[in-house]
Amino acid sequence: MRDEIRRIQELMEREAYVADPAIATSVHLALQLGKPLLVEGPAGVGKTEIAKVLARALDTELIRLQCYEGLDASTALYEWNYPKQLLRIKLEESAPGTVAEKEAAIFSEPFLLRRPLLEAITRERAPVLLIDEIDRADEEFEAFLLEVLSDFQVTIPEIGTIRATHRPHVVLTSNRTRDLSDALRRRCLYLWIDYPSFEKELRIVRTKVDGLDERLAAQITGFLQSLRRMGLSKAPGVAETLDWARALAALHAAHLDEALVRETLGCLIKDEGDLRRVQEELAAGRLTALAG
Amino acid sequence: MGTAPNAGGGPNRGAAGARSADLTSIVVAFARALRERGVPVTPAESADAVRALDAVDVRDRDEVRLALRAVLALRVEDYAVFDDVFAALFAAAADPGAPRVPRPRGAHASARAETEEALLARAAATPRPLSLAGWARPDAADDAEPLGIPAMSPHEALRRKDFSDFGAAELDEVTRVARRISRRLATRPSRRWKVVARGARVHMRRTLRQTLRTGGDPLVLAFRERKPRRNKLVLLCDVSGSMELYSRFLLQFLYAIQNAFARVETFVFATRLSRVTAELRGGPYAEALERLARSVQDWSGGTRIGACIAEFEAGWPRLVDRRTAVIVLSDGWDTGEPELLAGALARIRRRAGKLIWLNPLLGSPGYRPLTRGMQAALPHLDVFAPAHDLASLERLANIIGS
Repeated sequence: MRDEIRRIQELMEREAYVADPAIATSVHLALQLGKPLLVEGPAGVGKTEIAKVLARALDTELIRLQCYEGLDASTALYEWNYPKQLLRIKLEESAPGTVAEKEAAIFSEPFLLRRPLLEAITRERAPVLLIDEIDRADEEFEAFLLEVLSDFQVTIPEIGTIRATHRPHVVLTSNRTRDLSDALRRRCLYLWIDYPSFEKELRIVRTKVDGLDERLAAQITGFLQSLRRMGLSKAPGVAETLDWARALAALHAAHLDEALVRETLGCLIKDEGDLRRVQEELAAGRLTALAG
Repeated sequence: MGTAPNAGGGPNRGAAGARSADLTSIVVAFARALRERGVPVTPAESADAVRALDAVDVRDRDEVRLALRAVLALRVEDYAVFDDVFAALFAAAADPGAPRVPRPRGAHASARAETEEALLARAAATPRPLSLAGWARPDAADDAEPLGIPAMSPHEALRRKDFSDFGAAELDEVTRVARRISRRLATRPSRRWKVVARGARVHMRRTLRQTLRTGGDPLVLAFRERKPRRNKLVLLCDVSGSMELYSRFLLQFLYAIQNAFARVETFVFATRLSRVTAELRGGPYAEALERLARSVQDWSGGTRIGACIAEFEAGWPRLVDRRTAVIVLSDGWDTGEPELLAGALARIRRRAGKLIWLNPLLGSPGYRPLTRGMQAALPHLDVFAPAHDLASLERLANIIGS
């Protein structure tokens, strides 16, 4: 293994993120090649966490753009501060100067509201730019984003072109509610994060949750692994595992039993139909990891 | 392709001219093998792959695999093919006698390619002569039935009622309703704005510019409104035996919509799925039916809704996005596994703007959607509505437009 990759792995682990070689290699390459990293996978496997941990590990700022349906270029890039502009116009009503001069004055930097994308390319030090849940934005927005990610420059008609002083380290995440375009994929390095293996999840639980009995940690992990095999409509992610483990730790539980699982199942299962199915399985004693 | 600010040339570049040439030839062979297996690789990615190998320990087999995968396999569906090709190439590198390129297009070829191949193969097979032309003549006697397999649905008597006297005038009506639905689809507002002379929303930037000319008083307001949004429609129509009575009416509907509205994709299914967008498009209705009869093989057989919907979901993922309304027209009489249907519908619903199930039986008083298939489907639907007569189709126009 290349030393740089091991170092990234160590840096991320120091921030309490269990990075397997695939994650560490992808992050290393994203930094080396200067390409955005597109991370896909089910909800709750730690996609967003990569960007946060990376920012802390690089000791740089994290700028986050949360995507949603209807997100448009101006909300992501910049807007004009209209109230401030109006105020200035009123204040200088009788001041000398041509219309062109006044116009230039109010459409200048001090009246610009920088939104995440513009922020990210104008920082003194390259920040980590997290574009979260890009699949929730519209396709038009994806095309716009593609432009920004290709050139790392933004043209504001009234001011001119702003070029990135330092290219941000870009991490995009997607829960795959829709397929992203090939064009966007080609701009990025790609990483799929699946639900963790038993060993990896156990490590995550032990890294993140204090005061948990060894055997209980293994039982929790085993139970989650078997839940995910049930094909639930909303399978619990690692975030749910950790919630549950913390709850059990707070209850000073020593081991799992059916009653305890029933009482705390709400931490794990958020869908009513799923809840019913899991309870049936529990009653029938078909869920493993309770016996040991 | 710009240079990254912190790529900085790579630590080994100077000393490794020869190695770099080796890496290039490996990457070129690898990219070719991937393309042969249906994973598209562009030269830009090949170039990145060489840079990526330069940035990892090339003696570490797993690290090489992960690095190449990050650059060349851009969706998780490509991972299996990638690993296959990687294993084959490395085996070849260890044993010069072995073929360098893995077997062509195997089980892992993309699902869409498989489906397309399957469709082509099916189209090439000898068509079962089956005339649907009678359906184009509304007065044709029902006993001239081209359909050999008996209906499976137990609601025979009820269904006869609402369609026994389906005349030519009604067929024209179907066309009219289809046009109305298409207009609805075409005129939904989008997220994008355009400047308009008069509207409900003020265009601030423009208004401010004009305000400057009047010394700060916003005398003239500029307006903006949403650009119309381009919606799409996917129709999945059950043409199995139990749907036979409705098929005549629904095919007319499919034909009318296909020709009134550009962004429609139409599929029919019974035990297998067929894409019939091209067959339905253009020409008179009778000709469209003839084209359909030639290309679709399993009219009025049994039903495997779950398998067919799953095939659609896996085979044509690009057809469904947030601006797509997916409409299933079926009585829900499935002989397959209900879980298969539920899973496929759940996946479609996650990607589609709207998932609508139109069930002709729902128009019959006393009908309850109790079949296993229908029960499995219900939790995943945005709209569950009847489609047994014109009034129900009229209502569909409003559902889609909302």
